[in-house]
Amino acid sequence: MRKINNKISNKTRIVIFLLLGFVIFLISNRVDELRVYQGASVAVYVVGIASIILLTGYSGQVSLGQGALLGVGGYAAALARNHWHASVPLTFAIAILAAAAAGALLGMAAARLSGPYLAGTTLALAVGLPSLANQFSILGGEQGLFFDVGAPPQSLGADFTQYKWFFWIAALATLIVIFWLQNVMRSRYGRTWKAIRGSDVAAELAGINIARSKVLAFTLSAGVAGLAGALLAMTIGTVSPSAFPLALSFSLLTGAVLSGVTTLGGVILGAVTLVAIPEIVASVVDRLGASEGVATNLPSLLVGALLILTVIVLPNGPVEQFRSKQRAKVKKSH
Amino acid sequence: MFEFINTLLIGITSGAIYSLMALALVLVWRSTRVVNFAQAGQALASTYFGFEAMKHIDNFWIALLIAMIGGAILAAFIEMVFMRLLLKHTSSGAIASVAPIIATLGLLEVIRALITLKWGGADVLIKAPLSNTGFSIGTHTLVFSPMKLAIIAVVVFLLSILSILFQKTNIGLSLRASAFSPELARLAGIRVDLVRTFGWALSGATGAVAGMLLVVNGNGSLSPASIEFSLLLISGFIAAVVGGLDSLLGTVIGGMILGLSTAFVLMYISDSLFFIAPFIILLLALIIRPQGILGKKGGRRA
Amino acid sequence: MKSLHRRKLISASAILAVAALTVATVPANAFSPKYEVGVNGSEIKLGITLPMTGAASPGYNKVPGAMKAYFDYVNANGGVNGRKITLVVKDDAYVPTQAVSKTNELILKDRVFALVAPLGTANNKAVAASVNPGRRGVPVLFVNTGFSGFADQKKYPTTYALLPSYVMEAKIMAEYIKDNFAGKNIGLVYQDDDFGTDALAGFKQAGVKFATTVGYASGSQGAATAAGWVTKLKAANCDVVILFGVSSATAAGLGTAAALKYAPQWILGSVGGDATTIKASGVPAGVLYNAVGASFLPATTDTTDEYVSLFSSIYAKAVPGSAFDNNVLVGMNSAFVTVQALKAAGGNLTRKSLLAAIDAKGSTFASAALLPLNYSATSHVGYNGYWFGKYSPTGDLKPDGGKYTLYTTDSGTGAVVKSTYKRPAMPAKGLPN
Repeated sequence: MRKINNKISNKTRIVIFLLLGFVIFLISNRVDELRVYQGASVAVYVVGIASIILLTGYSGQVSLGQGALLGVGGYAAALARNHWHASVPLTFAIAILAAAAAGALLGMAAARLSGPYLAGTTLALAVGLPSLANQFSILGGEQGLFFDVGAPPQSLGADFTQYKWFFWIAALATLIVIFWLQNVMRSRYGRTWKAIRGSDVAAELAGINIARSKVLAFTLSAGVAGLAGALLAMTIGTVSPSAFPLALSFSLLTGAVLSGVTTLGGVILGAVTLVAIPEIVASVVDRLGASEGVATNLPSLLVGALLILTVIVLPNGPVEQFRSKQRAKVKKSH
Repeated sequence: MFEFINTLLIGITSGAIYSLMALALVLVWRSTRVVNFAQAGQALASTYFGFEAMKHIDNFWIALLIAMIGGAILAAFIEMVFMRLLLKHTSSGAIASVAPIIATLGLLEVIRALITLKWGGADVLIKAPLSNTGFSIGTHTLVFSPMKLAIIAVVVFLLSILSILFQKTNIGLSLRASAFSPELARLAGIRVDLVRTFGWALSGATGAVAGMLLVVNGNGSLSPASIEFSLLLISGFIAAVVGGLDSLLGTVIGGMILGLSTAFVLMYISDSLFFIAPFIILLLALIIRPQGILGKKGGRRA
Repeated sequence: MKSLHRRKLISASAILAVAALTVATVPANAFSPKYEVGVNGSEIKLGITLPMTGAASPGYNKVPGAMKAYFDYVNANGGVNGRKITLVVKDDAYVPTQAVSKTNELILKDRVFALVAPLGTANNKAVAASVNPGRRGVPVLFVNTGFSGFADQKKYPTTYALLPSYVMEAKIMAEYIKDNFAGKNIGLVYQDDDFGTDALAGFKQAGVKFATTVGYASGSQGAATAAGWVTKLKAANCDVVILFGVSSATAAGLGTAAALKYAPQWILGSVGGDATTIKASGVPAGVLYNAVGASFLPATTDTTDEYVSLFSSIYAKAVPGSAFDNNVLVGMNSAFVTVQALKAAGGNLTRKSLLAAIDAKGSTFASAALLPLNYSATSHVGYNGYWFGKYSPTGDLKPDGGKYTLYTTDSGTGAVVKSTYKRPAMPAKGLPN
C-alpha cells in the first residue's frame, strides 16, 4: 500500500517541483530587486533549515553549531574560486564536500554523544570555529575573502540584475536539494533514522548499526549546510568570521522549529518568517512611531516569543499539524 | 615564577565563577533533564535586580541577597509557567529531546530584549564592596585582591551549603527521582512539581551569584549586550559537560579545569586562542573521560 | 487516499498562486523622473547602517542621534538648498549579512539618495561586494572605519574615507614614541584582526621594536583576559604600553593594570580612546590621568573651540542627558561634512553631481577637524593625521602644552610630517554656505 503510494507521489512530486520552478521563475521576473534579493536569502535559509531538519527531525540529533558548518562551506567555496578559479558549479560541489567531511568528523564524535553533550559540543564549535579564520592568513582574517560567482551571462540581457542571477542560482540549488532530500528521507536511510529517533534500543535490536547511521546523517546534513554556506557567501559577496556568528546557528534552529522539524513540507514557512519578521516589525514600528530602543529590540523579542509558542503549541510544526488534521478528516469520511 | 603564580590565580578565579554557572545549569539538569540556555539571561536579569537594589541600599551583600531571591523567583516562575507547559506538550515525539533547548534559547532572546527595554543598552555600574587592588609581595603584585578572595569564599560557602543540602537531606534524591521517573517519584510520595520548582529556584539563585560576582570581578560594569555574560553561559556549559553534568563536585572540578587550562593557554601559547581553547578542552575531556570527571561508566547518554 | 492527494495538490497550487500574487502586486516604487532617487522638492533621504544592538554597539549607537541632531539643526535653519534631510537608520548588529540586507532595504526600498557613515570594515566590504553601490552609482559617504583600503577608487568608486587610516595612526604614533620615549621598553596590545594587523603593518614600517605584543581575540576582552595581558607586559618590563584596541579592551586593560599596581606610560589608540566610554565602563578617571591619546578633532571638552561649543549645545538640546563625547563629535562632524557636500552639489542634486562636487571642492570643505580633507578627482582619502595629548586628572584628553600639534602621513611608505594647516573659521552659525 505504502509502496504504491510512494510511486505515485514520486511522479507527482517531479511535476510539482517543475511547476514550482516555473512559478518561481515567473515571480522573479515580476518583482522588484529587493524582493529578488530577499528571495535569494529565503533560498539560503531554506537550504540551511533543511540541513537541520535532516539532522534533528529525522535522525534525532541536535546541532547548535550548524552556522560553523555553513562557514566551512562558505570558506571552501571562496578558496576554490579564488585560488583554483573553479567554475561556479564546481565551487558549490567543493563547498558541499568540504562541509560534509567536517560533518563526518563531527558525526564520529557525535555518535558517542547525545542530548546535552552533543548540544554542548556543537555549541562550542559554533563559537570557536569562526575565530580560526584569524589564525591562518590564507583565510583572510576578520575581513575575510571575496567570493564572486560572476555577472549574469550576457545572453540574459542587460536588464538582468546581479541579484536575479543570485536568486536563480540559489533557487535552482534549493529545488534540487529539497527534491533530493525528499528522496533520501523516503529511502532505506530515512526509515532507519526515523527508527533510531523513535528508539535507539529498538533500532539496535532490529539490527541497525546506530553509530554508522548517525554519522551518515551528520555527514549529509553538513553537506547540505555547506551548500547553504556557499549560497550565503554568494549573496553577500564575501566570507568572514562575523558572517557566521552564533546567532546564525540559532536563527537556523529557530527557522527549523517554525517550519516543523519533522517534515520538509514547511521549510519555506520558517525561512520566510526569518526574513520577513524584521521587515514587518520595522513597518509596524514606523506606523506606531515607537522609540528607537523598542524598534531595535522588538524583532528579537518577537522571534523569541514565537519560538517558545511554536514549541509549546505546535511542537511538530504547523505543516504536520495541518496534515494530521487532514488525516483525521479523511479517516472519518471513510 | 610570578607569571606562573598569577596565571594560576587568574585561572582559579575564572574557574570559580564558571563553576557557579555550571552548578546552576547542573541543578536544572538534575531536576528536569533540561539544559537551560536561558540561564545566562536569568543571571543577567538577576544582576540587574541587584543593581536596582544597590540604588536603594548601598550595600553589595544585601544586593547580592536580593539578586539571589529575584533570580530564584524568576527561575521558579519560568519552571512553573513555561517548563510545565512545555514538558506536557512535548514529552514525546520527534523533538522531545530538542524542544527544551530550543524553547530556552527563545527565552534567552526574550529576557535579553526585555532587559534592554527596561534598563537600556548602555553600561550601568555596580560598585565592588572590597578593593580590587592586588596583594603585593615585595615589588610584585598578585592577581589576587580582597575582592577576589571574597569571590572564592562566596563560591566555597555556596558549594558547602549545596553539598550539605544534598547530603544531609533527601532533596538530592528527590530531585533525581523527579527528573528520571516522575511517575515512580509520585508513587513514593514525592511532590514532583514542587521539587522541580525548588531545583529551578536553587539554580536561579546560584546563577544570580555568578552574575553579580562576574561584574565585581571586572570593572563593575554591566550591560545587556555584555560579551562576558554570553561567554559565561558557554563556559559554564562546557564546564558542566566536562564535569559530567550530574555530580556537584565534578562540576566544580570541571569549572576549575576549564578556567586553569584557558588561563595557561592564553598566557603561554597565544591570546588569540581564546575561543578555540575551550572547544579543544571539551573535545579532550570527551575523548579521555566521556563519562565526566567523576561520572560512572555508561557513556554520555542522557 | 487519492482525494487527499488531490487536495494536497490543490492546496499547494493555491498557496503558490497566492504567494505569486502577493509578491507580484507589490507596487513598483513610483518616483518622478524629475528628481534623482531619494530627492524631491523638499527632502533628501540618506541612510546609515551600524550596530545599534549587540556587543559592538556601545558608544557607536550614539552616532545616529548625533547626526540627526545636526541635520535637524540644518533643517530648522532652512535645510540644504531648501530641502530637509532625513536619515534612515538601520541596525546591522555588526554582522555582514545583516549589513547587506539592511543596505539593500535602504537602497531598494527606502530609496535613499546616498549612504552616510556606514560602520565596520567587514560590513562595508560585504556591502561593496554584494550590493555594489559603486556599480549602482550610489554614493557611500565617509565610511566609519579606519581601514585604508576604502580609499581605493578602483575598487570602491563611490566610496569616500573620512577617518585617518589605522596605518597612518600607527606611523604617527611611532613618530611620537621616537620623539618622547626613545630607548624605552615598548609593549603593544592589539586586536587580532584586520584592525590590529593594519596597525602592526604601520608600526613595522616605522621600525618600532616591541618588547612584547599581546594580540587578543576580538570579543575576548574582559577582566580575566586583561589580567593575563598585564602579567605579560609586566614580565617584559614594558615602560610604555600602547593599547590599540576597542573601548572595552582599553577599559579592561587600564582597569586591571590599576588593580595590579602596574602604571606604565599608556598610549591609547583613537578607536578605543574615548574617555566617556572608558569611564562609563567603570575605569576611574584617575587611571586615565597622563595617558597619551590621539585625535584629529578638537578635544571634546575644549569649549573655546567654536565647533565644539556649537555642536555640544545643539546636541544637548536634541538628546538631553546624553554626554557629549568623541563618538558624538565624530557623528556630528560627519553630518556637517555631508551637508557641505550636498550644498556644493547645487540645487539640481543628483548622485553624479554630488560625487563630482566632492571631487572638485572636497578639499576646501570646512570641518571641525584640525586637518584638511584630501579629496580630489584622484583621491578619496579623508583626514590624514593626528595630534597627541594627555588625559587630564578628570580623564579628558587635552593637547600637549595646550596647543594642537598635528602630524600627517599616508597609508603607504610616506614620511610623517608636521602639519602647518590652520583651520579656517567656522561658517556662520555652523551652517555651510
